[in-house]
Amino acid sequence: MPLKTDNSLANPLPPNANGSGSHSWLSIILIGRNWRFTLVRTVIWAVLCIIIFRVVLVRVEVIGVSMLPTCPEYSRHWVNRCAFLWHGPQRGDIVAIRLAGIHEMLLKRIVGLPGESVAFSDGHVLINGAVLNEPYETNTWDWEQAPVALTNDEYYVVGDNRTMPQQDHYHGVCPRYRIIGKILK
Amino acid sequence: MKIVVQLAVAAAALAAGLWLWTTIFPSPQHVIRARLNEMARDASFNSSQGPQEGYAAAQTVGNFFSTNVEITLNAPGSPGRTLTGRDQIIQTLIGVHESVTRLEVDFPDLNVTVGPDQDSATADLTFRAQVDGTRDSIAEEMKVTLKKIGGQWLVTHIETVPVLT
Repeated sequence: MPLKTDNSLANPLPPNANGSGSHSWLSIILIGRNWRFTLVRTVIWAVLCIIIFRVVLVRVEVIGVSMLPTCPEYSRHWVNRCAFLWHGPQRGDIVAIRLAGIHEMLLKRIVGLPGESVAFSDGHVLINGAVLNEPYETNTWDWEQAPVALTNDEYYVVGDNRTMPQQDHYHGVCPRYRIIGKILK
Repeated sequence: MKIVVQLAVAAAALAAGLWLWTTIFPSPQHVIRARLNEMARDASFNSSQGPQEGYAAAQTVGNFFSTNVEITLNAPGSPGRTLTGRDQIIQTLIGVHESVTRLEVDFPDLNVTVGPDQDSATADLTFRAQVDGTRDSIAEEMKVTLKKIGGQWLVTHIETVPVLT
């Protein structure tokens, strides 16, 4: 019966201890001690990164001044597309609103919820006739708008910058299907 | 191991076959997408173009439209405008070439639906334009109606889609 020799017992030093073996420090850094495990780990990380940074989160750059001072022009933010999986958009949420797709979006704040009536009076938002408390608003202008009734699938969105003329500020009723996510602060 | 290799070869052959089939016989959606993207490329220009080239480019873009095309633009913050007929569109494009030094147009989101008759289609797209190389871009959602006329897909109607009402 042939005897098996155990090299690890015969040689107290591992074969790559001096850096000249098949598992040199460089190869360990690059591919690990076991290339199969490294490959599996790499694939898992790559899939996770693709899911997170392509599906769950979307990077957006703000173009325009309608969300000042909360979102300055050219500032960058992440949009969480899973924010509304378990509940609907809430008042005060800054949401991304898609056009034909998600490559170009509007960034607005939700002020009116489904079923409510939204109006503007002297620059203040009125919800069902009552003034909405907006701590993020520092300055307002003389915005005036007759009440708009929202259906069960509609939200009223507006930017934070109420110091600009009302006709230059794109705001209004947004159907739910256009809201793709909420920005991460 | 052998069966894995055989499966991989079969999958590769299937993919190549599908690619070849769609290349030789492209679907109407594929043709329309390619045509609209080509239109966006042709509508883009930079300062190196002279007036004659601008005129020629406007004529080229005009060929993507039917003679009785109608474009209804209602962008927020600007007065609505309607362009009627291919000639008016070409004239407008020539005017754009004269007043703007650089224009980049693309359709980053493009969803095509072909009608049941296979001779009409609608494309819901995001129109994006950068003027004079500025960082700010114009973005509008648009609904484009196309018809197959003389074997070619021509744009018969364009209207802006309001995102907020």
